[in-house]
This record gives sequence, C-alpha cells and structure tokens, in this order.
Amino acid sequence: MNQADVSKLISQLRIAVRPNKRHLKNVDGPEGRLLKLRKTVTALVKHERIELFYNRADEARGYAELLISNAIRHGDRHKATMELADYWLLEKQLVHKLFKVLVPRYENSNISYTRMFKAPRDYPGIFYRKSVLELRGNPFPVLTPDNSQNRNLLHNVLLDEARKEFRREKLANLANKLAAETENATPSTPAQVPVTEQPEQSEEAPKA
Amino acid sequence: MLRTVLSDLARLRLSGGACSVTQVREKGHLSRPRLRNPYWFIRQQRLQTDDQVTGENRSFIKEVIHDTYGTPALIKGVQTYEQKQLIKTDEAPISTEPWTPNVRRCGLIARKIGQYPLWLKNGERIRTTLLQVVDNHVIKYIPPEEYKPTHQPNVKNLNRYGCVLVGAESTNPALLTKEYCGIFRDSGVMPTKNLARFIVSPQAALRPGTPLNVGHFRVGEFVDVRGKTVYHGFQGVVKRHGFKGMPASHGVTKTHRRPGNIGGGGEKGRVWPGTKLPGHMGNRWRISKGLRIWRINTKYNVMWVQGSAVPGSTNGLVYIYDTILPLRKPQEAPPLPTLYEQPEDEAPDDIWYEQVHNFKDETISFKPE
Amino acid sequence: MNINVRILTKSVAQQYAFKRIVTFSTKPTQQAAAAAVPQQQEVTGSTVRRPIVPAHYRFVYPEFLPDPKVEWRNTIREKLERLDMLDRRRQIELPEFYVGSILAVTSSDPHAAGKTSRFVGICIHRERCGLRARFILRNVIDHQGIEVVYELYDPTIQKVEVLRLEKRLDDSLFYLRDALPEYSTFDENMEVESLEEGAPVPVNDIKVVLRPRPWLERWERQNLLGVANIEQYIKDKHRKSSEKAQKPWEKYDLMKQYRATIPEEEQKEIFAEVHTELHTLELQRKRNKRKRTFVKPKHLA
Repeated sequence: MNQADVSKLISQLRIAVRPNKRHLKNVDGPEGRLLKLRKTVTALVKHERIELFYNRADEARGYAELLISNAIRHGDRHKATMELADYWLLEKQLVHKLFKVLVPRYENSNISYTRMFKAPRDYPGIFYRKSVLELRGNPFPVLTPDNSQNRNLLHNVLLDEARKEFRREKLANLANKLAAETENATPSTPAQVPVTEQPEQSEEAPKA
Repeated sequence: MLRTVLSDLARLRLSGGACSVTQVREKGHLSRPRLRNPYWFIRQQRLQTDDQVTGENRSFIKEVIHDTYGTPALIKGVQTYEQKQLIKTDEAPISTEPWTPNVRRCGLIARKIGQYPLWLKNGERIRTTLLQVVDNHVIKYIPPEEYKPTHQPNVKNLNRYGCVLVGAESTNPALLTKEYCGIFRDSGVMPTKNLARFIVSPQAALRPGTPLNVGHFRVGEFVDVRGKTVYHGFQGVVKRHGFKGMPASHGVTKTHRRPGNIGGGGEKGRVWPGTKLPGHMGNRWRISKGLRIWRINTKYNVMWVQGSAVPGSTNGLVYIYDTILPLRKPQEAPPLPTLYEQPEDEAPDDIWYEQVHNFKDETISFKPE
Repeated sequence: MNINVRILTKSVAQQYAFKRIVTFSTKPTQQAAAAAVPQQQEVTGSTVRRPIVPAHYRFVYPEFLPDPKVEWRNTIREKLERLDMLDRRRQIELPEFYVGSILAVTSSDPHAAGKTSRFVGICIHRERCGLRARFILRNVIDHQGIEVVYELYDPTIQKVEVLRLEKRLDDSLFYLRDALPEYSTFDENMEVESLEEGAPVPVNDIKVVLRPRPWLERWERQNLLGVANIEQYIKDKHRKSSEKAQKPWEKYDLMKQYRATIPEEEQKEIFAEVHTELHTLELQRKRNKRKRTFVKPKHLA
C-alpha cells in the first residue's frame, strides 16, 4: 500500500477498528462475505438490537457505522450514498428508516452510533464467542445496570471517608501555611508537612 | 528433552561426583520462545473488573495520584506525569571514578517508532530506524556485593558488576498490582509499565529517580539494540529460511514449497542437528549489534540508528546498550554515568552526524575535477 | 434478561490502541473545528487561529499523508518526517505535478560529464509517502524507452521543472510501456508551457494505441480509460477471464476503503500543521515565476 488513497474522503470512526478484516469463511468468497454482512447490517437497522456471533458482529459494526456516517454526511440527495444504502439494506423500506429516523437521531452526536457487548456462550452448545450489537438510542431497556451510584458498597464507604480525611488534612496544611506567613518574624515550621496517601493506597490494593 | 535430563541425572549418580560431560544434541530448548514468565515473577496488571466506584470517588483517586506524582503532562512527546520531586542534576554522583574502556554503562528502554531514509553528504541514501526513548527513570541501583540474581545473566565476572533497574512509561498505579507498585516505593518514581535491568560497573551507578534521556548516547557512536522479533507463527521453509522452493509447473507435483532432501545416507543417515526445517518463526529475543547513531533529536528523545532491520515491530519495545563489538567501542569518554540535562541549556533540537546531510542544508552537488 | 454483559469498548480500545489521533467528531462543519481548536491550544500554549486548509491539498501534496497501515503508524515519527520534508522544501522548489505531467529533473550525478544530469519525461507513476515519496519519468531516447525513478526528497535533486502541467485519465500510466513509442516521446529541449493562474489543471483525454500482444500486464483487466485499441487484440478467452477477475463489490466495501484512506479529521490536522509553511512556499514560487520572462507556449516538437 504505502500511500493513502486520496480519491475518497471518509469521516473518522468512533469505534476501535481492527487493522485487518476478518475473512468470515464463505464459499462464495469476498462477495459472499459481504452478503453475509449485508444481512447483519439490515437486521441491525431493522431490529436495533441483535444477538449474534462476536466475529460477525464486530465486522458488521464498522459497515453499519460507516453507512450511517455517510448518510449523515451526504444526505439523501447524494447518488453514491443512495446506491450504498440500496446495496447494504436488503429491505428497501429500511432505506427510508436510515435517512428519516437514524440520520436525525445521530446528527448531533459525537460518540459512536452502535454499541457492542460480549454475551455469554450457551453451554453445552457451539463454542463461538457471542455478542449483542445494538444501535444507540434504541427503545429497549438497557443491558448494563448502572452501579456507579451505589454508595453503600464497602469500598465506596471507605473511599468516602478517605476523601474527607484528605480534604481535612489539606485544609489544615493550608491553615498552617497561612499562620506561618503571618508570623513571618518567627521561623517556625508547620506542624504537618507531608500529606500521607496511605489510606487510599490500601484502598486501591484490595481491588487488585 | 525430559529424557535427556533424566539420563543426565542417572549418569551423574553413576559417576558419583566425578566430572562427566554429556553431549546435548537437541538445540531447540536453547532458543525456544518462553510462553510464560517464571512463577516468581511479579504479576504486573491487576484483574480488570468494573469497580462500581462512584464518580466522586473516582475523581478523588485521580486527585490523589496527581497530588503525589504531579499532573499529567506531555514530556518529550510521551504522555506522562510531571514528576518534579525527582533528581535532575548530578549533585551527588555515587562514584567519581573516571571512565575506562572497560566500564559498562547503563542502557535505555526505547520504542521503535518507524523507519525512514536519510542521505549522506556524498549523496548515498541510508536506511535508518527511529528509536524513541520513552520516559526512562532509574528505579534502583544494587551494588555488586548485593547483586545475587536468581537467574544469572550471561555476563563474564558478574561479581564485579552491579545492577541498575530502569523503568519506562509511567502509568496510573490504580491499574497495577500492589506487589508491583512495591518495586517503586523507595525510589519516589511513579510506577512504570516497563522495567529493565542493566548490568553496570560501579563507576556507572545511578541514583534512583534520575531521568535518562537520549543524550546518554552521542551521535556517531555505535549501539546494540535488543528486541523481540515479530512473530510469524509456524512457517514453512520458504518463508522461515528463504529457501527457493520448486517450480510451479514443468511436471512438478506436490513439492512447490517443500524443503526437499534433508540429509544423506550411510553412516550419516539421520537428520543432522540444526537442519533448517519448518517451525515457529519470530518471537525470539535478538540483538542487532554495532548500529551507528546517525542523528539525535533531543526535543522528542529520538535517535536515528543504522538499518531498517532492528528486531521488533513498530511501536514495540527495544533495549539500547553500548556496543560490545571491540572495534566499535567508543574511544573517548561517553557521559558517565549519564548526561544530566540542564533546563537552561540552549542545545539544538537536532544533532546530526558529520557525514549526514542535514535537510536544512543546500542541495548536494559534486565539484568537477 | 440474564445476559452477563460487559462493556466492550474499553477493552477493545486498549487492545487496539495504536496511538492514533482520535478526534471524536465526524461533522466536517463547525463542530469538528470547535473540537479540534482546544487540542491545538494545549500543544502550542497560545491562541493560534486555525488556517483554512484548501480541499485540494490532498491531491497536490499526497506524500504528507502517512501510510494508512495501522501497525506502522506513529504520530511522532510522522511529525518528524513532515518537519524534514518541509526543511527540504525550503531548499528546493518542488512544484505541483500529477501523473501525466511532463517534468524535467536536474540532479547531481558524480558520473555525468558536468556532474549534473537532466532528464525530461512524462510522469507515469507516483508512489510512497513521507521522505520516501518517488515518481517515475519515462521518455524514449534514440528509439529506446528509458525510465528513471526519482525520489522527491533526495537532496541530490537540484531542480524539478514542470514543463506541461496536466492530468491523464488513469491513475498510473504503466501501459505506456506497451504503447507505440510516439506516445512516450518528448523533446529534451521542450519549453515550459505556462498555465493561467487559478485555472484548473487540464485533463488530457488522449487515448494511446497499444502494440500487439504479448504485453507486460493484462491491461484488459484494469478498466483503463486512456487506451484506444484494447479490443483489437483480445480474444474471447481474455474477455471471459477479465470478466471473471472483476470485483464489482469492492466499491461497496466501506471498511476496505476506510482502511486504505486517512480519515478526514486526521487529514485536517496534518495539513493544518504544514499548511502555513506550504502556502508561503507556494507564494514564493509564484513570485519567482512572475520574475521570469514570459515564453509563448509552443507545441510538442
């Protein structure tokens, strides 16, 4: 390769992109691979949340993101974009959904348009990794419970206390310093100089 | 392998203390890539799980880290933390003995950031590799009398040398294990992602907390660069050893990329040790020796080193040492134990070797005789 | 829903962290600029107004864009390389040219009679990026096709003149090797044909005539626009095999295109860094050009 292709201008993706594509074994070669991914992208746009094998989801995600980003960038009057939408969405009513529902939804967002989660494997069953792929802003209930506000967990209680102590010590230090400045004549050293961070180091360690 | 060891042991017992020599024909165990670290290695990264820490507490942890180690900063092109409390001058060097040609100095940890051509003043084009010294700090110095490593490095007269532990790329200590952070506790250095030990003479001892920069080496000198080669997996003989293979057509069947004959008959009717055969390719530690430093950039801590075949991938770690090749060792004293950068110095960003064409200079033209 | 899920983005981002500059805004309008400006200020520490980078810069200076292969990318290396390229461009005028333009390159050569050599030819290919950027010139001299590979940033190059600035219909003109020699014959003493200032670069829609087979490459498979008589020499079997070799789905393979290009946001950042310098160099070049005496363009001798 060694030189960037300048004939096309594409917006940056907001997801992590693998350096190389996955081949997704297919008897029909690259064309069959794309057909497989077209089906996935169509299903994603149609159902907004799908569960499937990890590899295929990860591959399809980039195509879905680029399709939406192109639709936002060029709009529905752009012939090439319309051709793309026509190719990638196998059910034609979804072309309307892309331009009339998804484009307004993501127009002002500055994060990725899709999310992907790792799903558990069913046991006993096929040993492939599974995942859930969804469009952001879908109408379904969220998959990950938000536990970040649980203040009653032990480490949160301890960290709260450590924080209060840290603030107290800082204030004391500041007060000492001011006092020392006001009594310029007497060169007395402040009582507490070093701020120990012992409590929160012991806090961080148990999580290891 | 196991069988050889067992037979060795048996023979030792039979011989009863007398010296016995066993010939080991298997060479594979010497250079086989180790898949995991020894059990006594300290695990570096802690298990990543969702901590369910509240936002307030998360920012508090961050604040404590910034309070202890300084705010995040971009120093010499590397994202790190301002560690202001560390030693930056040579106020009290450990040893004041002068340099001799036999002194072993400390090395550096660097990243291979790519390669591009430079031109010499005679118009010749050379290929160079760029190595960036990434935020190196000395963490510990162990004097010779205390240095008793579990695994002995292959160094002659090891009892004469001490060991300098160097860390590179400081990182958030909340991501590391408590045991790993313990290594850094006495040094005052922020925990780092990468560690390396360098066997040094006592003259070249360094104090913990000393930053190491690219000025440790000078333009025109030669260095050895050690890195782990790119892994290619199990490869055939054509890719691994560069065999030619056989023709694609003209009646050739089933032997297009095969090695062909691998041994003779008669008395030597066996596969000789060391025969080039398919196998794992890459993922080995290799040293390219005697590479000249063509150019140094002190602003980004980058050195341009001869050749495009430095082991390792782009953005991979490499270790830089003074060369051990006897004819390429430095004649004059290099900075010992290292070059302490003074902030008030007005040093040029780029230092070029005298033979290299500086891109700021005029076009090269040859004078007619 | 007992789906045990874990947010992927974090782990994946760590796995594939290649230190790419990630600017999270795809909007090419004010948003991206607004997102990018604070970053710039962080680096320089002063209020620098972002220059507006002309859209055609990626065609004029393609070598300033790095190799899109992610494994080989490193922001600091790319930056140092760009600084070196600018340093060289300050020493020598490297004009705008394209595949199909006719160039004259003067370079120092220790083996030449006057220690310099000049070669005139048509640029049939441009490749590689950074300091490795190079181009191939082709001409026919004494009935012998000659091609010379020049490295754009080689300090032994003394002068690059564009004798005729134009584009062709194809991205590379390797088929001139199999064309009749008159299509790649250019007069050594050709004079500069100057274009009007601000005029778009003309596209020469000449169709070259190929020699009969055997050819160096299977041109019938490459969908060439600048060849007149490909149909004359191919048989049914060639037609069939070339049809088989076509890959019509590639224009829909969005990820393949994405991996072969540098995203717009990154391009903007790169050209914003070098734009002012390149612009001043361009102005200087124009001033120098005006000083020269005007020569009326003559046709190919």
